[in-house]
Amino acid sequence: MTIAAGQAKQSSSKWRVWHRWLSLIFGVQMVIWSISGAYMVFFELSFIHGNHLVQSTPQELPNATSVRSVQDVIDAYPRAREVTLQSAFVDGEWVAVYKIFAHRQTFLVNAQTLHTVEFNEADIRANAERLYAPSKPAPIASVLLLTQNAPSEISPSLLPIWQVNFDDFGSSSFYMSPITGELITKRHDFWRGFDIFWMLHIMDYETREDITNWLLRSFILGTGLLSITGIVLLVFTIGRSRRKGAQS
Amino acid sequence: MMRFAQWLHRWVGLVMLIQVVLWVVSGFYFSTQGHHAMSGHQYKVNPTGLVIRHTMPEVGIDEVWQRYPRALSIKLYRVADEPQYRIELASERVYLHGDTGQPWHTNAEQAKQLAVATYDGPGSVNSVVPITETNELVDWHGQGYQVLFDDDLNTRVYVDAANGQVIDHRNTPWLIADWAFKLHFMDYSGARSFNHLLIYTAALLALWFTLSGALLLVQNLRRGDFNPRRKPTLLESLQHQNKPIASGCGGGGTCGLCKVKITEPTTVTTAESHLLTATELSAGIRLACQHRDHGQIVTLLNDQVRDFELTLVGKYEHSEAITEMVFDSAPVCDYQAGQFMQFKIPTANSGALFRHYSFATKPGGNQQLHFLVRRVPGTKEFPRAGVGSSYLLSLQVGDSVNAFGPFGDFVATDSSETSREQIYIAGGVGIAPIHALVANEHARQRHLFHGARTEEELIFADDFRADASLHYYPVIDKFVHEEVATWLEQNPGDYDFYVCGPPAMLAATLQLLADKKIPKSRIRYDDFGI
Repeated sequence: MTIAAGQAKQSSSKWRVWHRWLSLIFGVQMVIWSISGAYMVFFELSFIHGNHLVQSTPQELPNATSVRSVQDVIDAYPRAREVTLQSAFVDGEWVAVYKIFAHRQTFLVNAQTLHTVEFNEADIRANAERLYAPSKPAPIASVLLLTQNAPSEISPSLLPIWQVNFDDFGSSSFYMSPITGELITKRHDFWRGFDIFWMLHIMDYETREDITNWLLRSFILGTGLLSITGIVLLVFTIGRSRRKGAQS
Repeated sequence: MMRFAQWLHRWVGLVMLIQVVLWVVSGFYFSTQGHHAMSGHQYKVNPTGLVIRHTMPEVGIDEVWQRYPRALSIKLYRVADEPQYRIELASERVYLHGDTGQPWHTNAEQAKQLAVATYDGPGSVNSVVPITETNELVDWHGQGYQVLFDDDLNTRVYVDAANGQVIDHRNTPWLIADWAFKLHFMDYSGARSFNHLLIYTAALLALWFTLSGALLLVQNLRRGDFNPRRKPTLLESLQHQNKPIASGCGGGGTCGLCKVKITEPTTVTTAESHLLTATELSAGIRLACQHRDHGQIVTLLNDQVRDFELTLVGKYEHSEAITEMVFDSAPVCDYQAGQFMQFKIPTANSGALFRHYSFATKPGGNQQLHFLVRRVPGTKEFPRAGVGSSYLLSLQVGDSVNAFGPFGDFVATDSSETSREQIYIAGGVGIAPIHALVANEHARQRHLFHGARTEEELIFADDFRADASLHYYPVIDKFVHEEVATWLEQNPGDYDFYVCGPPAMLAATLQLLADKKIPKSRIRYDDFGI
């Protein structure tokens, strides 16, 4: 053993004291990081996104309907940037509609009449039941039109929006557009858990999306110091075992 | 439980070391960069003003529907200045030119224009490279173009030839972030997936790592390790004073190296009951990391300290009072001249006492250990005074005794560091360690002052007289320190002193050396030689 190593060895208990103090402050967050990290790792992202809740039902355009020309649509909506001929389930039947994106807004018009299509609660309920994959009939607990306050699990920019709540394992919710009748997003308890763990992981307890906050940065730096002291202690321990082995 | 937690924390820590560092470093990179800087979208904009009415298609939407009657949807929009239909079928997507009705194709020049339309950075197009796949777009393959810009971020824009869509922007910060994601998610496929076997394993190990750490932390809290006014452990004190104390784990109670001898009765911790033998524990050996320093007397041990079984092989009476006892040790005892052993003396009430005896000969000659034992008669006031000597003297050849050691720093100075002449001053059985030291010194000039009450108590005198290079000064029935004083006046110089003898002789000699202004670093003494 060299003199330098001998001197380092003399301070080994200092490293341990530092390791303890740093772990008191940053070790707790390391536990939170490992638990939240493990949660996010172990549940498949597609499951967290709730893809298993939705069944894909490709719907061909309804037959035997004569639709108005694109020229007519453009005449009515001259600022249209995208026009899509598709089908929509309204009043219990499939109808051909034009989905129009114009002036930063998306809306549906009947492809034969060019009248605006709107979705009432019954239409929303019917579409939710049609899309809900786990069971028939879908166990809908409530259907609410949210206009003022968005729940924390969705962005306020999605308002107004229909919230369809299912009485199922995971308390699933479908969020459906009152304008297009389409499923915008879906939430369930594992998503909500993911969201909480994500908040804990990035240490942004307000917006849950700012990964550049100084609390997080300082804890990462502190954890770096904690790791260094741990590595030094580990090197002491390994060096010790090797000496022992050489003696025997 | 705690020992398991400690073992687990250490081994998982070793396995996870690199990945934990990678998590910390990549995590810090994310936190300093933020989402936007890592998106590759620094110079990306959405083109505006692409209303359909300026580029009405020649082919009507009903014609397209007739060609694809099983379409799920048909979408019309502009790509630059041309109309495009996107037909969604159950199994694929088809892109048609709105004017020709033919399958769409974007050429290199068009791709360049489309890329520029989504770019608002300071650079201009450097080159357009046809590609069929790229590492920078994991799920994409087909016909396309990489449009390279000569800006500070090395922006490249990917355009799909089959539909003229700008697939995405990439640049150097994105590439670094992509590596950080690969490291953080342990996914080197580039898909930024964090659901795979490797990271499942790492996550489980990390959980074990942090939870065992938390368990140890709770133990530290309960033990009061975080009390700011706590007393340091003996290990911390000894390390602070730069004493030669071994420690492999830095106070974790797992290596068992920081053995010390504590004189006062001290509790035995769980770590100690695992790492120390029963003999060690009963001899007062403890681990320095396990006890707080409140001023108790602590003796350092070295690596060789352990317990030995000594078998008596011979007894020689040098005088009426002094007997030389010779033992075989099992295993071989590796000691230094000047050190002593601690003998375990059984007592009537099945307890044990410990008595110290110095090695009387230099090490390495053979496996035999020599000790001088002075018969001490017990008295009514001090009934235990003779317990050790009478027990040892009662041993017969073939009997065995337990001893523990070697201990002591009454050893020679380093002859490679100093060539000073050596002065040995011994009285009574204090000659034992001195005899070993004298015999073991080969390089330097030696002077031995040997005091005794009678000529016959000059133990080892024959050895000393036979040694031609030793200056031997026997002192019979006189104060040995006075002889030393006289000699020093006639022979002033720089010497190393070794003193061992009865308390009065030792005190008088040390006083003399102090009066002579001999630096303390030149003086070594041992007061166990009575």
